[in-house]
Amino acid sequence: MTKLLEVKDLNFHYGEIHALKGISLDVYEGEIVTLIGGNGAGKTTTLRSISGLIGNITSGEIRFMGERIDGLKPHKIASLGIAQCLEGRHIFGNLTVRENLDMGSYLRKDSKVKEDLDYVYNLFPRLLEREKQRAGTLSGGEQQMLAVGRALMQRPKLIMMDEPSLGLAPIIIQGIFEIIKQINKDGTPVLLVEQNSHAALQIADRGYVIETGEIVLKDSAQNLMRNEKIKDSYLGAS
Amino acid sequence: MLIQLIIGALMIGSVYGLVGLGYGLIYKASGLMSLAQGDMLMIGAFLGMTFYKYLGLPFIVSLLLTMFIMFMLGMFIERILVTKLLAKGAQTVYVILCTISISMILQNGAMLTWGSNVMQFPSVFKTNTVNIFGYEIIPENLLALGVGIFCMLALHLFMTKSKFGTSMRAAAQDELAASALGINVPATKGAAWGIASMLAGGIGVVIGPIFGVYTSMGAMIGQKAFAGAVVGGYGNMYGAIIGGMFFGFVETFVSAYLTSSYKDFISFGILIIVMIFMPTGLFREEVME
Repeated sequence: MTKLLEVKDLNFHYGEIHALKGISLDVYEGEIVTLIGGNGAGKTTTLRSISGLIGNITSGEIRFMGERIDGLKPHKIASLGIAQCLEGRHIFGNLTVRENLDMGSYLRKDSKVKEDLDYVYNLFPRLLEREKQRAGTLSGGEQQMLAVGRALMQRPKLIMMDEPSLGLAPIIIQGIFEIIKQINKDGTPVLLVEQNSHAALQIADRGYVIETGEIVLKDSAQNLMRNEKIKDSYLGAS
Repeated sequence: MLIQLIIGALMIGSVYGLVGLGYGLIYKASGLMSLAQGDMLMIGAFLGMTFYKYLGLPFIVSLLLTMFIMFMLGMFIERILVTKLLAKGAQTVYVILCTISISMILQNGAMLTWGSNVMQFPSVFKTNTVNIFGYEIIPENLLALGVGIFCMLALHLFMTKSKFGTSMRAAAQDELAASALGINVPATKGAAWGIASMLAGGIGVVIGPIFGVYTSMGAMIGQKAFAGAVVGGYGNMYGAIIGGMFFGFVETFVSAYLTSSYKDFISFGILIIVMIFMPTGLFREEVME
């Protein structure tokens, strides 16, 4: 398997705060990799520094398909094929559902855009029903679908998802994780950040555990689920 | 008489509307305020006059060339000056001050280049008036109105139907999400400043033949346009047009039926009343944080 994303000894500072202390992680073709950890552990910061959304990293290397991408502008990084569903969805509320999806394919000039739009509408028939509606009028679950659909419209080589289950009802969360599995089966590697560790590990191939800006554990998802320490800290009583 | 008044009001209203729309565009795209919009109109008028009168270019060529130069100027101001200031951590108020300085420099620069007298912009049409349904109407008024309406429609289509225009709206709403999707957010801001300046400059060219061209011509129009943008709901493009039209009608009819000495008194009096009773303007706008 080829290595798609490689993060090596990544350090990041928010002003004086040392938010990421030497994070290293990899994502290979075909995988679902999850990064789990508590609130404020540095999950979102990791994803956002990969996308270049929060300015320059302090030190370390981020490589995508072998090329250094740290230091590039965010729109350049996106154009290489890295999509990110941001935490809190960040849909464009004043734009219609369709316009949101069109912004997903903003950079694309290939002929497969229509095909991907059909694919997204097939995954989320609700979005087709509400195509002309302002995205701000959608329910929370629908907005999350739109955020995922919009990222898929980039036809990304890697999709990063930041807390896709946040603030959604359990029945909807289940649907979202089904979709993530489906997306991965259809060929897109996923780097998934979640507080809902149980659900994330169930669909993931491998996992990393992050605590206060450091990777404290990495293993296959199956092993992590059986790990006593993980059970205690992240999987609750289950 | 009434028809001429209405056409005059629509004409001046669309001038305010277009210039005011620029304030809204800049505010939406970058959360900032440029107080040089009026002077963009003035510079546009001088450039257009120079191309048309002294270089002998056809009017339409003069207009388009001016609009192109004004677009570049607006974008230059955002990309070079404003961005640099913000990168150094300047507060919003310094950016506004910077645009006031630009306004002064433009006025002074225009005076040094073209002198301080009112210059005559030769008429565009050979006839002094045209007869429409029995009413004598000055063709330059119709031209200004036509260009104003055309620009508004073109901008509306650009913002809603084109991919780049949609991306400008997207970036104005959520920079982070837009960046993650590959939209070049700084470029959308530059474009917004460019378009704002292009529209003001273009309208300056078409009103040149009506009012003459002079260095302070933009100041009052800029203020009224700003007032129109506030009344309409700051940051809302359509509100700015309605607000601008509103001021156009108030001052035209006050001048015609009362006295022109009171027109600004009444216009701005209404502005204050609107601000007190409708602090979000006629169209409530969800502005960016």
